[in-house]
Amino acid sequence: MIKLAIKDLMLFIKDKRSMVLTFAIPIALITLFSFAFGGAGKNKEDQKITLLLSDLDKTKLSEAAIEKLDSLKSIQIVQIQLDSAQNAIKKGNESCVLIIHKGFADSLLAGNVLPLELQYDEARDIEVGLLQQSLIPTVAMLPFDLGNTQQVMANKFQKMVGNSSQNSKANIQMKSDSLFSAIYQGMANNNTGGGANASDAFFDSGIKMTKLIASKNDNALGLIHAVAGTSVMMLLFSVVGIGVGLLDEKQEGTLKRLLYSPIDPIHILFGKLITANIISIFQLVVMFAFSGLVFGLDVSAHLPGLIIAIVATAFACSAFGVFLASFAKSRQQVQGLSTLIILVMSAIGGSMMPLFFMPAFMQKLAVVSVNYWSIQSFYDIFWRNLSITSVTFLSRIGVLLLIGTILNIIAVYLFRKNILKLT
Amino acid sequence: MIDVINLKKSYGEREAVKSLNFLIKDGEFYGLLGPNGAGKTTTISIMSTILDADAGDVVIDNYNIKKNPKKVKQVIGVVPQEIALYNELSAGENLKFWGGLYNVPESELKARMDELLKWFGLYDRRNDKVGSYSGGMKRRINIAAALLHRPKVLFMDEPTVGIDPQSRNCIYEVIEKLHRDGMTIVYTTHYMEEAERFCDRIGIIDEGRIIAEGTLDDLKKSMAIKEVISITFSKLSDTLVNELTSFWRDLKHQDDKILFYSNDIKTDLPKLVSKCNQLSADIANIEIQKTNLETIFLSLTGKQLRD
Repeated sequence: MIKLAIKDLMLFIKDKRSMVLTFAIPIALITLFSFAFGGAGKNKEDQKITLLLSDLDKTKLSEAAIEKLDSLKSIQIVQIQLDSAQNAIKKGNESCVLIIHKGFADSLLAGNVLPLELQYDEARDIEVGLLQQSLIPTVAMLPFDLGNTQQVMANKFQKMVGNSSQNSKANIQMKSDSLFSAIYQGMANNNTGGGANASDAFFDSGIKMTKLIASKNDNALGLIHAVAGTSVMMLLFSVVGIGVGLLDEKQEGTLKRLLYSPIDPIHILFGKLITANIISIFQLVVMFAFSGLVFGLDVSAHLPGLIIAIVATAFACSAFGVFLASFAKSRQQVQGLSTLIILVMSAIGGSMMPLFFMPAFMQKLAVVSVNYWSIQSFYDIFWRNLSITSVTFLSRIGVLLLIGTILNIIAVYLFRKNILKLT
Repeated sequence: MIDVINLKKSYGEREAVKSLNFLIKDGEFYGLLGPNGAGKTTTISIMSTILDADAGDVVIDNYNIKKNPKKVKQVIGVVPQEIALYNELSAGENLKFWGGLYNVPESELKARMDELLKWFGLYDRRNDKVGSYSGGMKRRINIAAALLHRPKVLFMDEPTVGIDPQSRNCIYEVIEKLHRDGMTIVYTTHYMEEAERFCDRIGIIDEGRIIAEGTLDDLKKSMAIKEVISITFSKLSDTLVNELTSFWRDLKHQDDKILFYSNDIKTDLPKLVSKCNQLSADIANIEIQKTNLETIFLSLTGKQLRD
């Protein structure tokens, strides 16, 4: 029995594929997800959410406010011109911009509502929501930290009771002792973490929320993300399977037999590519149709854009599958390699989780994956409601086509070099 | 029909084919025999245009393989050594696909498919998946797939490896029919009886060269020997081998066996036994083989055909 176990262990150790699947891939994925969720490394700076900020007031008080915001652990302020920030949001590169409007300093000193505005992309409302939660406590306390506290309080009470009847004012006067007690209590609670919500509730946060890109449809972002992300990831697995057919044909001798026939050898590769494209398109169509029928994704209203995005995605993914098969020398090699590459691409490209959950450098890395460009193009269609002539949408389609073309060219080269090497 | 001229092919430092020359006439059944690694498959790969030669030329049916590879491919049919079929498709679907690659018109293809399926005794199973076939049945379809476009030249690379007697006989009958019908066939095999049965001429290839060529009778005549005395020893020391080598001018040493080539068995056999006794050699077995293709091959190459 022990001898059998030792024999199996020896076979396992000698089987490089098993070793890779058992150790290397899990280690690689743990490393990747650690980075993706921001848990890796001692430097936590990478975990900060970037907040674009446009200071139109340009006063010492606005600068002091920016300094306050920048001191927050969860936010990294990037000052930027307003139009540049708005362009970045419209292109989907950034989620929002905080604008400090002119008159900020005056309002602060006068105790008036602060002219702060957060312009954002509704497609990224979860990300904006996280930012808002981080911002509000600090913004709410700005009048007390930087402004004339007495004036602020006077204005607040003026607003609250200014138009009230004499009876009401007398009533408030009578309850002033208990009111002050409540304020002291609230300030004491501030140290325990309950103060943020208390100040927010009592004092206006002062941030005006404006949708720079508003959703014009009923599609839920989560649904779009689930459909697009999952579809692209599963498609990659499917096309690798089709690409691997090339290696199977080589192993089983049918490739050699095809070469004996009068067809051009490169047509064998093109045949696989056509098959991969057709199956990919069909797979994506079925997935979106299913999502439309079962989950109510509004497919019919976006047909032209959807067709373009599906074709471009299928093209890029098919090229990836055939490229991988041409790159590898055996089915086993492809299987190990493809699992790793697809999971990595899916993780960094946003198939598994929205990109904003990831640290900044991982978000930058996303552009190397097919998943990213494909998912963004589906966002453009279903969430941002961009037209098919929109530069942003077309640029993403262009990148997908470019990726597909480059991978196809490399696949042709590798096919000649690796697959056609028969003897 | 096939003219191979000064063909050369190397893989790195290793010369697989060295200045190979042979001519095969129209309608001839030519056997290409050689041990593993002799250069047979490389030669067939070059002749069937899927591998480029380093030097030399091959002309098939007046088409140069370098200048007119597509024309050559239309003229030739290749039965590969491995069963190169799609297991998930039926025999009919497989044949339709492979025939379609040669642009055989559909109606003609259908008739040819039926004809071949009947020849190979698989017409009733034509709609079954090839994956469900026995090894012998697969071999038959493997050959049929190379005949759909009625090639003038058929390359058959060990087409009967590992099959049952029923399939083997069926394949033999088809091969003989094709030969009778005038098809030029180039045949490689490890089975001497096949070569002896079918081949008009035989080329023996070793280390990338044709070392003997002709009809079976020509080859037998070219050999100065009539029999081979094969003596197996219980223990064969280097000293004994050296003694016997100096005693007998024509012999080959194989493991614990020595093959002595003889022109006159009646006088040579007692001489050999006497010498062995004199050397205190422990003889385990003695076999006498008449000259046949196997002994010719062994004599020429020093190897068994299956080596």
